[in-house]
Amino acid sequence: MHRLWNRVDFAFSSAWQNFWRNAAVSIASVLIVWVVLLALGSLLLVLHSLDQIVALEKTKASAISVYLADTTPLSSAMDFKLHLESDPRVTAVSYVSKDQAMARFRQLPALDPSVIDTLGTNPLPASLDVTVKDIRDLGAIDQAVRLSPLVDRSPATNYEPNVIDKIILLARVAGIAGLVLIIGLTGLSVFIIMLTIRTAIYLRRKEIEVMKLVGATDWFVRWPFIVEGLFVGVVGAVVAVLIVGFGYHPAVVNLQSVLIFVPLSFDQYYLRLVLAAMLGFGLLLGSVGSYLGVRRFLKQ
Amino acid sequence: MATVMSAVPQISLQGVHKKYPNGTVALRDVTLMIPKQDFVFLVGPSGAGKSTLVRLLIREEKVTEGKIHVEGQDLSRLKRRHLPFLRRKIGMVFQDFKLLPNLTVFQNVAFALRVTEGALRHLKPKVEEVLSIVGLEGKENKFPDQLSGGEQQRVAIARALVHDPRIFLADEPTGNLDPATSWEIIQLLLQINARGTTVLMATHNREIVDVMRRRVVAIESGQIVRDEDAGGYHAPALESR
Repeated sequence: MHRLWNRVDFAFSSAWQNFWRNAAVSIASVLIVWVVLLALGSLLLVLHSLDQIVALEKTKASAISVYLADTTPLSSAMDFKLHLESDPRVTAVSYVSKDQAMARFRQLPALDPSVIDTLGTNPLPASLDVTVKDIRDLGAIDQAVRLSPLVDRSPATNYEPNVIDKIILLARVAGIAGLVLIIGLTGLSVFIIMLTIRTAIYLRRKEIEVMKLVGATDWFVRWPFIVEGLFVGVVGAVVAVLIVGFGYHPAVVNLQSVLIFVPLSFDQYYLRLVLAAMLGFGLLLGSVGSYLGVRRFLKQ
Repeated sequence: MATVMSAVPQISLQGVHKKYPNGTVALRDVTLMIPKQDFVFLVGPSGAGKSTLVRLLIREEKVTEGKIHVEGQDLSRLKRRHLPFLRRKIGMVFQDFKLLPNLTVFQNVAFALRVTEGALRHLKPKVEEVLSIVGLEGKENKFPDQLSGGEQQRVAIARALVHDPRIFLADEPTGNLDPATSWEIIQLLLQINARGTTVLMATHNREIVDVMRRRVVAIESGQIVRDEDAGGYHAPALESR
């Protein structure tokens, strides 16, 4: 027990001393961890927002709203609904009245309700929202419903094939670019941290030499450096976590007011995941960097 | 002494060759037996291979050919993870002391105990004990650069003694010291030897070797050219009788 305590005590106290003794090198390492984690955290949040938008567009995409002419009686609309439901390609059809359409419209984020009130009458049509099993059938259904006299003419549906394809492509490109960026940043940061810590260790090679000479085991030599790497990782991560944690909500709110029709939302649960990942990644960067940095000196 | 060789030697080298990667041959066919409690001077010109021999004994270097046994262990078969435990049985001092400048005298000695995971509660009494053996009581809180060369070497000796080593290796321990201080260090090594520890000292110091009349092993160009009990720095033929 006392051996374990001695080991822990030695690792922590010498890591703490060395962290401050080579303050310049330590701060350089902390800055690198900080920048990498800040980039990583922001990137994860941006990718997540893109993901959310794509997911929303995809659910929207598997459904089209068929706008009904204001002259269509409710009974005819219900017959048309039954007719569409009997189509094997269709999974569900729901009726949205003019009032419901207005209520939905009011819920759009960052849209000022008073602007809508100045319109006086409700310009929105009632609609049948048709959900299909396979997105590829949407075109055919769109063509079919346009023939019905019950359907409004301006426009008949909200089917926009090009937009959907573009969004999916954009999301895929952004995802791959993000992944490449994350892998690149990780590799680069491990390398830089390894070099920084190796510089710090080089300044203390005499200490390592003496430790080995008097019979310290490899792990006993290694632990203080790994703990020091963990310090670097924690400090860098905490600063980055604070910035991302407190910056995410204002950023989303600001973007929502600029990009009115982009369905951005604040995801508290995902934010926690990202912050935890940043902290974990910071610890990993620091300890792996130290482990690699000290390896050369132990091998001699 | 060397004549009392009936017991298993504590250190044995058999047909040891050492060639460095750059092609330099440091030792050729060296065979040497050192029994327990022996006191051996290792002499020879610079570059003769004395330091290489010392480094092989703590396996800082590996032999190219031949066998070395220390404390019954075959060093070429010793696993890397067992190496620290061999080193705890061997005390070492060097010409340049190898003290940590940012630690006090007490901390330098305690460092050796701490890194080998000795119990913390035994630490203080043990450090005080070895510091009193080397005569450094009252200097516990000084830093190495506040001490004379002789005092620094005493700290290094105290650090080497803190594990109660069975073998004490000294590589030119008086190389940086004036004659009077050198004699003080030699007296300490004799004292350590008298307590039952085997001492092997590589040295250039002719005066000390000649006065002491202990076992002398002379190395030249990587080969043992002389091994005599109660010897002098130079071969008898060269000395005026």
